[in-house]
Amino acid sequence: MSPSILLILLLILAYVGFYAGKKRAVGCVEGKVKFLHSLPGFYGFYVSLWSVIPALLITLIWLIVEPVWMTQAVTAQLPEEMINLPPERLNLVLNDIRNVVNGSTLATQSDSVILDAASHYESLQSLSHWLMAIVTIGLSMACMWISCQRIHQHYRARNAVEKAVTGGMVICSTIAIFTTLGIVSSVAYESFLFFQSVPVFDFLFGLDWSPQTAMRSDQVGSSGAFGAIPLFTGTLLVSLIAMLVAVPIGLMSAIYLSEFAGPTFRATAKPTLEILAGIPTVVYGFFAALTVAPFIRETGEAMGLSVSSESALAAGLVMGVMIIPFVSSLSDDVINAVPQSLRDGAYALGATQAETIKQIIFPAALPGIVGSILLAVSRAIGETMILVMAAGLSANLTFNPFEAVTTVTVQIVTLLVGDQEFDSPKTLAAFALGLVLFVVTLMLNVFALYIVRKYREQYE
Amino acid sequence: MNNPATSADLRADNKASTFDIVQKSLAKRRSAERRFKAYGLTGIMLGLMFLLVLFTSIIGKGYTAFVQTQVKLDIYFDAEWLDPEHGGDDSLAKADYNGLIKKSLSTAFPEVTERRDKRDLYAMVSSGAGFLLREMVVTDKSLLGKTVPVWLPADDDIDMLMKGHIDREQDQANRRVNDKQLAWIDRLSQEARIEKHFNALFFTAGDSREPEMAGIRGALMGSLLTLIGTFLLSFPIGVATAVYLEEFAPINKFTDFIEVNINNLAAVPSIVFGLLGLAMFINFFGLPRSTPIIGCLVLTLMTLPTIIIAGRASLKSVPPSIREAALGMGASKLQTITHHVLPLAMPGMMTGSIIGMARALGETAPLLMIGMVAFIVDVPTSFTQPSTVLPVQIYLWADSPERAFVERTSAAIMVLLFFLISMNGLAVYLRRRYERRW
Amino acid sequence: MSYIRESVPSHSMKRQTLSNVLGMKKIDRESRETVGAITSSDTRISCRNVNVFYGEKQAINDLSLDIGNNEVISFIGPSGCGKSTFLRTLNRMNDTIPSCKVEGEIKIDDKDIYHRDMDVVPLRAQVGMVFQKPNPFPKSIYDNVAYGPRIHGLAVNKTELDEIVQNSLIKAGLWEEVKDRLDEPGTGLSGGQQQRLCIARTIAVNPEVILMDEPCSALDPIATAKIEQLIAELKERFTIVIVTHSMQQAARVSQRTAYFHMGHLIEVGDTNQIFTNPVHPLTEDYITGRFG
Repeated sequence: MSPSILLILLLILAYVGFYAGKKRAVGCVEGKVKFLHSLPGFYGFYVSLWSVIPALLITLIWLIVEPVWMTQAVTAQLPEEMINLPPERLNLVLNDIRNVVNGSTLATQSDSVILDAASHYESLQSLSHWLMAIVTIGLSMACMWISCQRIHQHYRARNAVEKAVTGGMVICSTIAIFTTLGIVSSVAYESFLFFQSVPVFDFLFGLDWSPQTAMRSDQVGSSGAFGAIPLFTGTLLVSLIAMLVAVPIGLMSAIYLSEFAGPTFRATAKPTLEILAGIPTVVYGFFAALTVAPFIRETGEAMGLSVSSESALAAGLVMGVMIIPFVSSLSDDVINAVPQSLRDGAYALGATQAETIKQIIFPAALPGIVGSILLAVSRAIGETMILVMAAGLSANLTFNPFEAVTTVTVQIVTLLVGDQEFDSPKTLAAFALGLVLFVVTLMLNVFALYIVRKYREQYE
Repeated sequence: MNNPATSADLRADNKASTFDIVQKSLAKRRSAERRFKAYGLTGIMLGLMFLLVLFTSIIGKGYTAFVQTQVKLDIYFDAEWLDPEHGGDDSLAKADYNGLIKKSLSTAFPEVTERRDKRDLYAMVSSGAGFLLREMVVTDKSLLGKTVPVWLPADDDIDMLMKGHIDREQDQANRRVNDKQLAWIDRLSQEARIEKHFNALFFTAGDSREPEMAGIRGALMGSLLTLIGTFLLSFPIGVATAVYLEEFAPINKFTDFIEVNINNLAAVPSIVFGLLGLAMFINFFGLPRSTPIIGCLVLTLMTLPTIIIAGRASLKSVPPSIREAALGMGASKLQTITHHVLPLAMPGMMTGSIIGMARALGETAPLLMIGMVAFIVDVPTSFTQPSTVLPVQIYLWADSPERAFVERTSAAIMVLLFFLISMNGLAVYLRRRYERRW
Repeated sequence: MSYIRESVPSHSMKRQTLSNVLGMKKIDRESRETVGAITSSDTRISCRNVNVFYGEKQAINDLSLDIGNNEVISFIGPSGCGKSTFLRTLNRMNDTIPSCKVEGEIKIDDKDIYHRDMDVVPLRAQVGMVFQKPNPFPKSIYDNVAYGPRIHGLAVNKTELDEIVQNSLIKAGLWEEVKDRLDEPGTGLSGGQQQRLCIARTIAVNPEVILMDEPCSALDPIATAKIEQLIAELKERFTIVIVTHSMQQAARVSQRTAYFHMGHLIEVGDTNQIFTNPVHPLTEDYITGRFG
């Protein structure tokens, strides 16, 4: 029985449980519902929760443990020479078997040993699923019966149900913590493995980045191949160009929209401008690579400059355009948070609107604006697709915007896309880069959010 | 306070009044104001101009992909050729349909005899056209033994030529369509046997190495599955979290920590979520690579902060008097929330989730990390089948060297933007329709 | 903005003179025509037939009033009666509200302030305003006061600016309290000090008229007393229009008082007369606390 059918069965049981609980509760007081502690529905929920949650937990644990156990069982059945294969190779074989079982590889393409193992795997799996179904449904029914027995006139079903619901909500809200933990632990663990073969210092301060050469076994861990400085400067260069585009345009738009524009203009221009933020980055990447980069190269050549076909300028410009609405809507919020009384004060003295904005509102909003610019910087640093498609792969240590550069995110993608063995330094390097990216953006975000929050409190 | 008037004071009185002094510099100040205003307007106009350029460039490149050059050939469904051993369905499925096309072309152009010319002639019809004939035969066996005129997709180079992307005047050596092919095309168009038709394949086919056979159906299905999964996971969790944090959570270090986490996660680069998916879900939990199920797990974690933040904002906007009224009637806290607060906050929450879903629909980078970037021809039908999504398909096509993929990429972008704009439009509509000011 | 220029309607004035002649005959409660002398001897601001609209809603109805030189006039009346709205029309602060429309004629020193050629910048330099809630800029005390002179170019050099700042702070009665900490932010002062800082900021521009919109409603009684004392001193040099909720305050600081009701100017007159012997029944109700 497949897990999805089991799930449906459990839902049916929950439904049955609901009516069983309700009926029993009403039966307890011979239909005089007002003598019950809680509304009859709560008794229903109470039973139905009991009949589903323990069973679901068991299913979940089963599904997590099952593959481990099955892999062991299948491995034990494999021929001698396969068991003695090095672990990576053995993993490949096991992967093949799983692929055959899932039907993602055509059965005819594999050899007989794997086919045998696959059929063994399949029979074990169906056995396991049947067992799981029996255990789960048994448990569900048992829990339903026991919880039904506990219902009596004064049983506080509502409190029990509410406690369960609150508990569920607490679990949901801890997911954010677990996500952060998951990110930190997975990225940090792989980086730790990486730093065992490449020293941290060489990684952070090395000037030469050429992970491809490190694929050869004699060069694994050789110092210099994983020096990330060119990536950091590349990231900085592109982000700088992007901010040079986004900050002035975004800020001026925000000022115009919040201070000068009439309501109709604002109501049309603001959402239109925000379309820029809703366009997927892959679209910008395509646009940068196919329209902007050739345009810049041709213009540059017309002016006698040598411009690489994948210049940092093209990627940075397009990224800047993408960030414009980000800067403008955050600054707009910040500017609107400046109390009207300050504007009134300046107007009443005879200041023009421009003077009021430049001398009163802008200084007052500055911390908030700085915060939103920092958030935009963090956004620029983490941007991936535009750069993957338009910035190129050559790790040049340069600050010339007309040359091709590569960035942290581009290298993460290049190192991880495609079929690599998971524990080669090359793939691990991607996680080390990810760690740097996460830490830097984390610091920027926390700092920026702190500033923005302090700023909001000031005017609340 | 009792100071006698100082010299400046007296001077101010004796001098022209403030009004007159101000009048003098007024013109300069007003023009500074106009300049400043012009900067602001320039900023907006630049932004809008970029948007316009982007859209024109994409639409200009992509609209031609919705039509496809097709060649009308009289195909003789030769039963002997297709199924010489009378093996029935099985052998019909494996038969050589491209042979039928070649025969038909040879009949139409009997003067072409040389081997090389024949190859050029056969190359004019898509190498994938045989699959279309197979589809026809498999669905309708009565075709066997008949001669039927069929419109078949032309090869991408021919298509590009017909759409004017290949210059006829160019030297033959640098042109992807040679002079002989040009002559054949001219003859076909005189006979009205080569025409541009609506490109239905683009919407019904999966990916293909042949641009003229490639479609977005597989990517659309992958996106749909991923998005459904993401919504089913992230909406309930997001709402539960928002309700807990806004209505139940005590103010302490722990909830503070959750809040900091959520706010920070909202700004973590999406690629980091991809790394999490790769290391956690694929390598640690052993979930199948390249599948929508991992895609939706990763995108759920990514969109949750957006939904939670939007949900909290809309819960905050429900006035406390409503809660007090319900609590005063003796409703429990949970009843108050489910009966009164949540229904009022729901439009705001839906708006937030739709915007989050739109972001998830356009997301590419984390999905590259979890292997949804594979070349997949089949249209996925379940959460555990390898698949790709629309933005990744765009990325893959953008990387393809064939000229014809440029217009298909742009067309796929148009489809993606259509969905995104509809979703955002829905969000705006919901906000306008149900927004309340208390 | 459209302008309606009509001659001053004389019938209302006629009626009043008539009623005065007839020995203070009680006026119909429903009458919305202004009772009392709307004119003033040495006129600085002259308003005729002013109507103010917020979108469709009319906030001020056909209001005519003169404000004299160096007099303190207070506007009283229940909330929403239009007294603040009228105050803000006097230096066109209503311009910031898009839906607001002003009709009629308001002249300061014979210049129509709603005329097309009139720029609000010199107007507001001439007619300063102090708000209900103290609103010092988030700048130093010095910069707060120096802001107006700086933007208008009133001081030729730093010494002159210093003098203006010092004089304004002296006139606002704040100098002794802040002279040692002019570099500290103005937002760090107490509420009463902030309000006096805002007054100093206003008089630094050397305006002719100062509008005060309930300047003491956010202050404690001691701070209020100081501001009232300040107003008494300032009236030597400035024309002051003050909107207040407190009838005692109006009685203490002003020579003339105008009573507003639902967008109409009901009665205007000598402060003493308004508070001791109001003519219009509505004024009487309000003064005696029977308003409701």
